[in-house]
Amino acid sequence: MSVRLFFATDVHGSEACWRKFINSGKHYGANVLVLGGDMTGKAVIPIIDNGGGSYTFHMQDIRRDLDGADELAHNQRAIKDHGYYPVVMTGEERNEFTSDPDKLDELFHQQMRHTVEDWVTWADERLEGSGMRCIVCPGNDDRPDIDGLLASSSQLEVGEGNVIDLPEGYQLASSGWTNPTPWDTPREEEEPLLKARIEGIVAQATVSPERLVMGLHAPPYDTQLDVAPKIDWESLTVEGQNVAHVGSTAVKEVIERVQPILSLHGHIHESRAAVRIGRTLAVNPGSAYVEGTLSGCVVELDGKNKLKRYRLTMG
Amino acid sequence: MATNAAPAEQTLFVRKASGLVKGWSTGDGFRYSFLSTNMFLGIWGFLYAVFIPGGSVFWAAVITLLFVILEIVVYSGLISAMPRAGGDYVWQSRIFHSSVGFVMAATGWWFILWLWIPIYAALGVNSFIIPVLRIVGADGAADWLLTSNGVFAASLAAIILATYLVAIGMKGYARFQKWAIWIGLAGCAVAGILLLVTSKASFISAFNRESLELYGVKDAYSAVLASSGEGMSTSMFSGTLWDTFKLIPFMCFWLLWPNWGATLYGEVRGAKDFRKNIYQMGGGLLGGWLIVIAFLFLVTKTMGWKFFMATANDYMGAVYGYIEAPTFGSYISPTAMTAWIVNNSAFQVVLIAAISLMVFGWWGTVFLSSTRVIFAAAFDRILPESVAKVTSRGVPVTALVLMAVPSVIVSIFYAYQPSFVQLTYDATLVIAAMFLVSGLAFMIMPWKTKAIWESSAVPKLKILGIPLMTIVAAIYSAFMVFNLYLWLYDPTNTYGVGYKNKNSMIFMGILYAAAIVIWIVAWATRKRQGMALEAIAKEIPVE
Repeated sequence: MSVRLFFATDVHGSEACWRKFINSGKHYGANVLVLGGDMTGKAVIPIIDNGGGSYTFHMQDIRRDLDGADELAHNQRAIKDHGYYPVVMTGEERNEFTSDPDKLDELFHQQMRHTVEDWVTWADERLEGSGMRCIVCPGNDDRPDIDGLLASSSQLEVGEGNVIDLPEGYQLASSGWTNPTPWDTPREEEEPLLKARIEGIVAQATVSPERLVMGLHAPPYDTQLDVAPKIDWESLTVEGQNVAHVGSTAVKEVIERVQPILSLHGHIHESRAAVRIGRTLAVNPGSAYVEGTLSGCVVELDGKNKLKRYRLTMG
Repeated sequence: MATNAAPAEQTLFVRKASGLVKGWSTGDGFRYSFLSTNMFLGIWGFLYAVFIPGGSVFWAAVITLLFVILEIVVYSGLISAMPRAGGDYVWQSRIFHSSVGFVMAATGWWFILWLWIPIYAALGVNSFIIPVLRIVGADGAADWLLTSNGVFAASLAAIILATYLVAIGMKGYARFQKWAIWIGLAGCAVAGILLLVTSKASFISAFNRESLELYGVKDAYSAVLASSGEGMSTSMFSGTLWDTFKLIPFMCFWLLWPNWGATLYGEVRGAKDFRKNIYQMGGGLLGGWLIVIAFLFLVTKTMGWKFFMATANDYMGAVYGYIEAPTFGSYISPTAMTAWIVNNSAFQVVLIAAISLMVFGWWGTVFLSSTRVIFAAAFDRILPESVAKVTSRGVPVTALVLMAVPSVIVSIFYAYQPSFVQLTYDATLVIAAMFLVSGLAFMIMPWKTKAIWESSAVPKLKILGIPLMTIVAAIYSAFMVFNLYLWLYDPTNTYGVGYKNKNSMIFMGILYAAAIVIWIVAWATRKRQGMALEAIAKEIPVE
């Protein structure tokens, strides 16, 4: 029996992308779903309560004035679909968040937790009785307490640091940790430490490389999966048109040594591609979460020792 | 309700998380559009105005510009809503159907570009290489380039250069374009000053001097007017309305392309910003348009409009055989005519070379946009996985082969089969048909892909309950239908590619049939494998 696996990554708080991911099994005929990290959003959009049922917010530099609860609810959903957290607040509260970084940090934390809790509830309802396996691994942008929320699910399995048995004797070894980024994100570390971490996870696998799938958020260094604009780490600005390989050498070395049948990556949204590293197919489906479009990859494993076919999707 | 206004307070809180930007900047996008509506295409396109002397070149250029601005609005909207590499293919396959997207984009962005190779080559050879060879006295080489072998060799050179420009990658090509534009613009400025300060009498004297020296033609100015000036228009402003409209398809050959980077916009930074897309494509279009129109004014002042059209007629008469004894019988490049004003060979060569960089900066566009469409179709598995293969340096090697090898075959036909030259306007027609379908896709987008439409930054203003963007797309689509009517029906036998031209119909039929066959084979194969192509193009349900 073959295994059809759907992989997506970097939904970054997009409600539409999360729901599409959960619904993707039926759409693509997949029996295993894998989310490769970075579930949580990056930005909060303050919706200013002007009183009298009137609200104002800005999105994509466009000011929007809302009138009434229905318009508010409709736009909150649209904001969530883009991957932002909509928070209704007064002008004074907005100013407090602007001037108090700790308070803003707590707001983010609260929004991320609430959203993941909602997502877990929705996924549990949807996946129950479907016969589908769904593995979710947080990424470098996700705070550590997200893992606990995911673990509370009855249908989702947490990938981070684990080797999970898949159908037909395959195994999935996952980690959302990456090599250092200019943003000092929650799950990143120097290459030697990252290599030791990944090697430690892979060592738990009990299957041959032909049956091993690796889900590592960071893409392998110096491939088509890791090309991003070069950034000045001090000012966090883009250095003109220069691009650079920003993937992980640790990930590349582990892939080259272990040669799993499949290696799933994300992290660099604009490097949507698939490459062969020896016998391994390494894929980064990229991300277009801001559009509410789910970039993904459908992979078919033949149940023996071959990868039958794969295709990148935009659904 | 949405209004554009600069916010004074914090409107977005961002936490520390991995940041994202994309490959090309807005400036690169502008340069790509500028070179795509290339001034040499305009000047080459004016050659065909000799067939409709009753039309006004100036007003045809103005009318076409206005409609192409609508095209920019349509494409800015599509790019902003779905900024994906693959452009037209992705939009049409998502809004209409996988088959529609592939057939239109494969013919419009892939197959027909094979025919553009000899056209690009002809522009480079006639605008730069031959004028320079004549100046340096290499008449044998110049004459050889006009033979079938020479035309084929030039096409091969264009294929090699275009392949190289794609192979050096987006970043390297953007840098080359930047230099090509700066040097080219400097050349244009010098040429503009020369034409401005030179009197008509001085120009005639210079033209006669160089024509005698380089071509052995005595009193060339008068000779051209005598042999080829009869019936030519005397002003670029005068003309009947219908004849002016009939010039529009020729203007499309020049102006229809500010959206040429549409397939690349998945790689352009800030592509979701509707206004920025307008600025970069609009800037590219207007910049090139203004330069060419300024040139036409200067031509009228210094050379005389009738003489300018007579030189065009002299060449076209020789190509199509309707003038028995043309004065030159070969293309006299307006760039060369301008450079000849200064009686110094070195200066002439440098000026022609500088301006011609606009052509060579543009040559890479013939393959670059196409490779993105091929990639997108391979990602969707209409084409095999191997087609999306890139080398370690990022060179899309298979996609390039799929462009280059058939281009060689088409170039052989172009060089050795004289009737093939008459298919030049198929190159515009097939792409225009694809643009029309994208226009229709944008027209129905607010209903067909409602979620994407509503979440986009495209203005949502309505007139009588109909989205303004739908109205814009409908007008643009009507404009494209008008052009297709003229090309295909060709009521006055002007364009040569309509239903009366059997070769043209067979050629285009083969292109569309090939695309349909590929899609059907892919559809059957993928269905047998358990995932229909439609599923890949279709949006996953949210609820």
